[in-house]
Amino acid sequence: MRLRGVGRRYGLGGPWILRDVDLDVPAGALLRVEGANGSGKSTLLRLLAGVDAPGAGSITGRPRTAYVPERFPPALPFTALEYLTGLGRVHGLGRAAARSAAREWLDRFGIGEHTRTRLSELSKGTSQKVAVAQGLLSNPELLVLDEAWTGLDPASRTVLDDAVTARVAAGATVVFVDHDTRRLAGAPDAVFRVAQGRVSPVAGTGRTEPRVRVEAEGPSGAELPAGLPEGTVREPAAAPGAVRLTVAAASSDALLRALLTARPPWHIRAVTTVAPEGERSR
Amino acid sequence: MTALLSYQTALLLRSHRWLPPLLLYAAFMFIGVRTGQPILDSFGYAAAALVPVTAWLVRVCVTNEPEAARDCAAAAAGPWRVHLSAVLTGLLASTVVGVAATAVVAAISEPRSSDHQVDVPVGEATAAGLVAVLTCVLLGTAVGALCNRPLLRSTAWAVPATVLAAFLVLFAEGSPAEAAVTGMVTGSLDGTVNMGVLPLAAAAVSAAVAVGVACAVSGRRG
Repeated sequence: MRLRGVGRRYGLGGPWILRDVDLDVPAGALLRVEGANGSGKSTLLRLLAGVDAPGAGSITGRPRTAYVPERFPPALPFTALEYLTGLGRVHGLGRAAARSAAREWLDRFGIGEHTRTRLSELSKGTSQKVAVAQGLLSNPELLVLDEAWTGLDPASRTVLDDAVTARVAAGATVVFVDHDTRRLAGAPDAVFRVAQGRVSPVAGTGRTEPRVRVEAEGPSGAELPAGLPEGTVREPAAAPGAVRLTVAAASSDALLRALLTARPPWHIRAVTTVAPEGERSR
Repeated sequence: MTALLSYQTALLLRSHRWLPPLLLYAAFMFIGVRTGQPILDSFGYAAAALVPVTAWLVRVCVTNEPEAARDCAAAAAGPWRVHLSAVLTGLLASTVVGVAATAVVAAISEPRSSDHQVDVPVGEATAAGLVAVLTCVLLGTAVGALCNRPLLRSTAWAVPATVLAAFLVLFAEGSPAEAAVTGMVTGSLDGTVNMGVLPLAAAAVSAAVAVGVACAVSGRRG
């Protein structure tokens, strides 16, 4: 997807919130957007998600898109399962596929027992999980997350971290804003800063933070222990049964502690540092 | 579009916000349509009352979804499709109401002219009544689409504008709704059935233009 000379303002004579935005959004990339409150981050995300049309310039080559807003209102007369099934169909899934994807994501976020609960009766955190599930259930090619982690419990944040990593690994693009600067630290391919209505790449970003990669092997069939540091990126390792975990260097001790103090403990096969990458070519 | 329409329809039915406009229409009908009244007069009345009711139903549909939920659907399907599906849901719901009202009028009215002297063919009159009803539903949809989100976003503007515009298209000379209703009522005087095809075509064009404008603006003005 390409943005060329994109601008956006609210109202006909209003000030430009964003202007002259030129941005290439490549496939298979994780992009972070940062900026002060009211700088236009959310406006940029709404343009990227296709929720708002640009007032100037053009956006071309839009892939299948999903958007997760910052606050999701429970004021809809549906149960969680009905809403997600309906949205799954709007995302282009068939009825049966939408329904099973909805169930699957409700289970993954640990709210499978709420399938028949009306959205209006859900807690704030649980309805945020429904909003996130809505964004993930159709495996979109472009996923736009506006502070989607806010209000989620730690386990669900990890589920979302993993889902984001998996989408990017599958060749989709994920664009996110999060107030926590350590969110998916080291993983983004590029970071963009929104200030004074302009969008600029942050120099020296894009996997610049030193990261540590741990290869660990658990007891056969065991799940990864709870309490891994937030933003842990997990992938299967080359050796069978082993898993490769990558975290910001600052979190490596916490990661090892979580693995070694698990009951039963995990076996650490290797610990390596990952050199920061400057420009990554794709 | 099918998925969006079924989603919007479920939203409308579950929200129960269709109830006030429907009750308003039922009240209109209760006051103005009685057993044994001349059939063409009753069709004219039933059609005319549908203009404000349709405009209200379209308003209900385009304002039914909380903004964040609308954004989620808009990202998936595009803002204009989401808006179109909402307007169409209002149009379809009003059509169902209109068809039901046509059936009721056909069943209970006397198939005679206003002075009860000339016989009126029921089938032909019902077809003309249906055409008048559809004309009014289409114009009501145009009013609802133009006088609400995204063009008029504040309730303080949207509601008075909707009411005013509904009455304007109903009474202004040259409006297709006025032509359709007048065609029924004047035909009733001497028992002739006026098939208002031209007003129906004009109403369809007006509705298409109005809905097109609203959908085109939907991504730009939230």
